[in-house]
Amino acid sequence: MKKKTAGRIAGIAAVAGTGATLLSELGTVPPWLGIAVVVVTFPLFLLFLGLWWMARETDADIPFLGY
Amino acid sequence: MIGDLLYLIFAMIFGLLLLGIHRKVIARIQRRPGPPVWQEILHALKFSFKSTWIPQTASDTLFVSVVLIAIGIWTAAFFVVLAGGNLLIIFGIYMLHKIVEHGFGLSSGSPYGKFGGVRSVISAASEIPLFVSVAAVVIFTGSLEIGDIVAWQEQAGPLILAVFPAALAMYVVILSKFPFSPFSIVESKEIVSGYKTEHFGVWRAGLEACNGLKTYVLLLTFIAVFFGPLPFLLILLAMILITVSISFICAFSPMLSPFDSVTIQTLFTGLMLIYVVYLGVYG
Amino acid sequence: MTTAGGTPLFLLEFGDIVISFTPYTTSLFILALVFTLLVIASRPERQLDIAFGTDAYMTKEISLSEMRFRRFMAIACGLASMGAVVTGDLFDFCLFTALVGICNVGIVAAVKSRHVQNAAYQYGLVALAATVLLFGGSAMVAATTGTLSLPILATGTLPAVPLAVKAFIVIGVMGEGMAPFYAAKAEMFRAPGAPYVIMCSLSSLLIFLRVIEVVVQL
Repeated sequence: MKKKTAGRIAGIAAVAGTGATLLSELGTVPPWLGIAVVVVTFPLFLLFLGLWWMARETDADIPFLGY
Repeated sequence: MIGDLLYLIFAMIFGLLLLGIHRKVIARIQRRPGPPVWQEILHALKFSFKSTWIPQTASDTLFVSVVLIAIGIWTAAFFVVLAGGNLLIIFGIYMLHKIVEHGFGLSSGSPYGKFGGVRSVISAASEIPLFVSVAAVVIFTGSLEIGDIVAWQEQAGPLILAVFPAALAMYVVILSKFPFSPFSIVESKEIVSGYKTEHFGVWRAGLEACNGLKTYVLLLTFIAVFFGPLPFLLILLAMILITVSISFICAFSPMLSPFDSVTIQTLFTGLMLIYVVYLGVYG
Repeated sequence: MTTAGGTPLFLLEFGDIVISFTPYTTSLFILALVFTLLVIASRPERQLDIAFGTDAYMTKEISLSEMRFRRFMAIACGLASMGAVVTGDLFDFCLFTALVGICNVGIVAAVKSRHVQNAAYQYGLVALAATVLLFGGSAMVAATTGTLSLPILATGTLPAVPLAVKAFIVIGVMGEGMAPFYAAKAEMFRAPGAPYVIMCSLSSLLIFLRVIEVVVQL
């Protein structure tokens, strides 16, 4: 997966999770919906955050093939 | 509510810290220096920086989604405990963690993972004492909502005094979920790392995050159900004390063979059943 | 109306059969749904086997026709467990539970391995025997209380159901795949095809979780 894709998914998940929590705090959406969105987005956020920061930006090293 | 999100992240990290304390205490009892207490947090971070892909033989959708489900169910459990929700849901999630372990093990195609997964499901006998302890709690408080149980204890004092065997049963259940415990046959070393074997890199970091959250939620439930309402810092202190007591058991006992592990847990179940029938008839 | 699973969020009525989505049954339902979707979406893994005493290893491939049949059975099993966790009728619950047992055998029935077939056969026998207790139990509930509707049974106004009948229903469900009858089933997991095999253990855990709620309010 490209670094950019992983970063975007993590970002969207973080925005959706915090957004839903904020909206349920303001009373726009019912509390259970806010929690349900967090339950779905929190794992996505964690995993794609990891995939984003581990993703390589440059080419991999050329393995040492021996003399 | 935003506070809840921060609390969720705190719970995950504190759970990992508890697992670190657990390792440290075991090491000191066995006269080893042991890793620093924050080792498990570093572990999770370290795994998340490692290069990650999906093994060629794995069922890729399942291989990845099982990590998401693992974190998801414990996030849900965390919010259920926080909202004082139904105790049955917590235990449902606890049992579904077995399926997640099963999924972790089976999805890669590795024989070691598969053995870990199958062991996790055969030790399902350990979950039944938990339901029996629920029955004992219901006989006293008349409710399954954690909120009601906590409120009941505000009036009548901690439940652990009233139903000590039930608390003991749930303690055994928490013990079976701790690493290095006599019952942790799912990740014993003769099958490499059991169900975790093939999940590396970010997938493993996700699993570590789930383990931290799981530890926190289980201990929080135990404290809420059997000790009643406590101030936040006291809850954290109680968690550390329970973890240390579990570490002592883990340090002094060898890991059981799968057969013995299931037999002992089933014995516990039998005793608990007798206790609850006694409570139901004479209590 | 509050049940052991919490206050119903939503009621779906089919005549006198009321399906109630309490927080508890809804969470079980969602989990069954998620795993059924996973069965539909994922391909089976290729199990690795080491040729003993050598360095050679081989992967087990699942043929397309076998995969199709097993996927079908796994989806059927998912649907049966979804039905079992939300239904509001004791007889329907027993029917769905029996269907789960049949589907579990079906999931591994196409696997060409002697161990798996033997285990499936033994599991099938236990599950069959358990249905006697299951349906017998629900018949006795109908005989003592005059109804099979779980919401009406949960009101607590009807005559009490004998403890033995509750035990019948629980043992009936345990026979469909809980410990200690699990022993036969464990060997079924030798079968390759993780997404389908997981359905075997998921379905029995889900129906067991539901039967706890059912029995508590009888």
